[in-house]
Amino acid sequence: MPSSLNREVTVTEKLSRSKEIQTFKMEIDHRTVSFPEGATVLRVAELNNVYIPSLCSHKDLSPFGGCRMCIVEIEGMRGYPLACSTIAEEGMKILTDTATLRDMRKEILQLILSEHPSSCLVCGESEECKQYQYTIRKTGVSTGCRYCPNDNQCELQNVVERIGLAEITYPVYYRGYEAEHDDPFFDRDYNVCILCGRCVRMCQELRGTSILSFKYRGPKVQIGPSFGKNHVEAGCEFCGACVSVCPTGALADKSSKWDGKPDGIEISTCPFCSIGCQIDLHHKGGRLSKVYPNLDSEINDGQLCVRGRFSLPEATHYHERAKKPMLRRGKYFREVTWPEAQTEVVSKLKGLKKDEFLMVVSGDLTNESLYAAQKFVRHCLGSDSIDSTARLSLPGGLGLWSKLFSLPISIKGIAEADSIIAVGLDSRFYFSVVGVQIRRALKKGADLVTIDARDSNLARYTDHWLRPRPGAEGMLLSFMAQRLGGKKGSLKSISKQAGLDEDRLKKAIESLDKGENLAVIISPTVFEYGDNTALVDAIFQLAKRKDTIFVPLYHGSNVRGSIELGAFGELLPGGAKSKKQGISLADVMKKQKRPKVIYLVGQAPFQERPDCDYLISQDIYYPPFPVDAFLPAASFAEAGGTLTNIEGRVQELVKIENLPDGAVTGFVRPDWKIFSELGQQLDSEDLQFKNEEEILREIHETIPGFPARPDRQPRLLKATSDLTIEKRDHSPVGTGEMLLVVEPAGFQHRGIDLSYVVEGLKELAIERGLRLHPDDLAKRGLAAGEEVSLIVDGKQLIVTTKADSECPVGVAYLSHPVNFGGLSDCKGLELLYGLESSPIRVSIGAVESNRY
Amino acid sequence: MASSPIETIEEEFKGEPADLIPVLQKVQSVYGYLPQDALSRISRWLKISENEIYGVATFYAQFHFTPRGKHHLRVCLGTACHVKGGEQMIEVVKRRLELNPGETTKDGKYDLERVACLGCCALAPVFTLDTKIYAQMSVLKLQGILDEQK
Repeated sequence: MPSSLNREVTVTEKLSRSKEIQTFKMEIDHRTVSFPEGATVLRVAELNNVYIPSLCSHKDLSPFGGCRMCIVEIEGMRGYPLACSTIAEEGMKILTDTATLRDMRKEILQLILSEHPSSCLVCGESEECKQYQYTIRKTGVSTGCRYCPNDNQCELQNVVERIGLAEITYPVYYRGYEAEHDDPFFDRDYNVCILCGRCVRMCQELRGTSILSFKYRGPKVQIGPSFGKNHVEAGCEFCGACVSVCPTGALADKSSKWDGKPDGIEISTCPFCSIGCQIDLHHKGGRLSKVYPNLDSEINDGQLCVRGRFSLPEATHYHERAKKPMLRRGKYFREVTWPEAQTEVVSKLKGLKKDEFLMVVSGDLTNESLYAAQKFVRHCLGSDSIDSTARLSLPGGLGLWSKLFSLPISIKGIAEADSIIAVGLDSRFYFSVVGVQIRRALKKGADLVTIDARDSNLARYTDHWLRPRPGAEGMLLSFMAQRLGGKKGSLKSISKQAGLDEDRLKKAIESLDKGENLAVIISPTVFEYGDNTALVDAIFQLAKRKDTIFVPLYHGSNVRGSIELGAFGELLPGGAKSKKQGISLADVMKKQKRPKVIYLVGQAPFQERPDCDYLISQDIYYPPFPVDAFLPAASFAEAGGTLTNIEGRVQELVKIENLPDGAVTGFVRPDWKIFSELGQQLDSEDLQFKNEEEILREIHETIPGFPARPDRQPRLLKATSDLTIEKRDHSPVGTGEMLLVVEPAGFQHRGIDLSYVVEGLKELAIERGLRLHPDDLAKRGLAAGEEVSLIVDGKQLIVTTKADSECPVGVAYLSHPVNFGGLSDCKGLELLYGLESSPIRVSIGAVESNRY
Repeated sequence: MASSPIETIEEEFKGEPADLIPVLQKVQSVYGYLPQDALSRISRWLKISENEIYGVATFYAQFHFTPRGKHHLRVCLGTACHVKGGEQMIEVVKRRLELNPGETTKDGKYDLERVACLGCCALAPVFTLDTKIYAQMSVLKLQGILDEQK
């Protein structure tokens, strides 16, 4: 792909050119330092390791000047200017630590603390008292010692220590607010809040959600949503950005609130989606305690979404977590030892013919495990029947996606773009970091055009929200691509076809036309449409344009790795097409073929047990149907490895839970190790892996361009020309008065639906129910939360309705899960896989009462 | 049905975030207070979150979130009025109308507000009924005014 490679170079060059930084010089505490243009005095000090205390500033937020702690003396300037809101200038002379400043800071800090319960800060008894402090409390009590979840990891404590404040001479005013526990994920106790406003500005400026604001005035100022609503009612996306920046213990993660100071922090990769955000894993006592965003400048830069921020500890430690090998013995399902389980599994796998076996792997497995899985099937069993549920996340086929992965994909490139097209994306709960990057670009003056039938958070930021009928997004993008490519086309006819205002479309195209660096972001829902011809054409048309980057989004964390490592029957490692083809997942789903043995690895894409003689499941949770053998796999925290993100970065997962085997800790093994041990028992010499590094080295030798160790460099995939792009052309069919859009569900990890194991996600129920505009419900005399009958393609589905004013009138939205682990409330949704066309016409009616 | 009051207001403004305060004032002059529905509509129109609007509106004493009474009673408690016994005026209204500052009577006839200064300290203590200003009030005078109202 020389041409693509060159293009990538030009994109990066352009970015670095635009960032060409001029440096200036100034003096801080009699030391000459240099700084980039536009930096604040505080930032310059930070960059040069000079400490100026501050409680309200944040690198991503505009200067606020709230806490007044960062006062400095600047020669020639009157009074004591704030370092955080003064822009550094050439030749400035600054003093940061004079006797006057020290006294003033002490005074200011005392004033701040006069409204903050301060026994944790200045108590004379604090040392002697420590031995009496270990009392177990279940709730956030706001009096007494050790009341604060932030003790020993508190910014305020640090500042008090640095400033050397030993007593508070002002009477302490206690606000007496009730602590708020009514929302999932985090608790709030505004009695310890110092009103620095970081959370408010984070929510408003960077996340664009604006759930938090300052309410009331003067001494009554409080932080929270309007009209005393809780965060769920206010529409919070629970990204946790407010919690991460809070300098006090006012905001605290529910799940790890009283864990205290962590034993250590490791930088790892979030295993939940293809963005591959870098996370700080806090661990305590050998267990994962909580997750904070890492300030990694390559991808997420201190931001995460609800899944990465809050769901990991619960997904790892949920009480139903399966940790022991099990075998079916008659009518019992018994705990057995590893050797016993391996012996039985091996005896079932030995001597199978080619068409008698199928392995289904998950697109969430590590590169190492995927490679070992395909090698196990191809070399040890001599079969070609391996398939991945990643396929379900790749509508249009592997051919299309291997081409898409050869385009320049960049997450941080979005922030540098000057024009952005976002198709069908709502970044509140999915791919939040992409949304943050869009906002960063908007701040720099970029133009955003959103194409979405449904209202979204992005639609709220932009003047160019194109609202076509669902299904027409691809056609519209294709038209815009042609226009931007200089071709003519009739605005009138396309607006009419898409159901749009002609003037609006014209303005949107004009705003894009000015741009030089275009970013095109496409959501999974749009790829899922039955008609993708126009969309695919549009993407490759836009790819011809100079300096265009793409972000084609899909669910599943290592789907790109699955393609590269050949976790599909028709695809060998490295992207060559396999000449032989075994059984595929679709064959079993459609019940066309019946393998004797099915081996499910990290995935349960069925609601009921698939038809076979012997069913093996290897996962971190039990599948929702009976199996014959269960092999407990290590979760992401218990095994190392690498994941390949959407940009092709091979990023490391860090093993932090390394507890010895036992009745409580279980007997889990990394997936690759299970394959390796089975392989040895099958007398194969090919599969003798000892550790992850060894596998990665072998992958490096097998697949050109794959790094030998974790490497965070984005890579372009070499597109496989052997695979054809499945162009589909199914315009809305079916009968009925409503249009149904089927969306791929993203809240899954390995064999489980996260909305089941994570209590907060269960409460939010984002992917549950049939979402309809309230007017549509009223028109049919239905209430939200009522069960209705949906006739799809001649088949009936019983679903619960949900009122959602963001849906266009006449269109219903339904998520279909890929995994069914724990999803008893998603009965019947498998039928949505077989749908050739989405959007599809459906009819909605009341449920007949005699169905029981 | 004719267009709703908010639609009329929408026509008067450009719909920029900077229009927020004049828009809130207009809405309050139409409804007498800021209804929650109106705020969510303004939020979509001006592209400011409802929470931010609420933050702005609660900052200013001029905006209210509950329906006001038909008549507005205001008692000044600025320094001069306070010294001259403004507090007693409040007490009278409280007792006679069973009304606390910031509230509206059950029949919706009156609401009571304590204000910091009306800017006419020479007339202290000052009481206002709607737009009419009553100067140099006493408890008796106030009783008389309230009697006349009935």
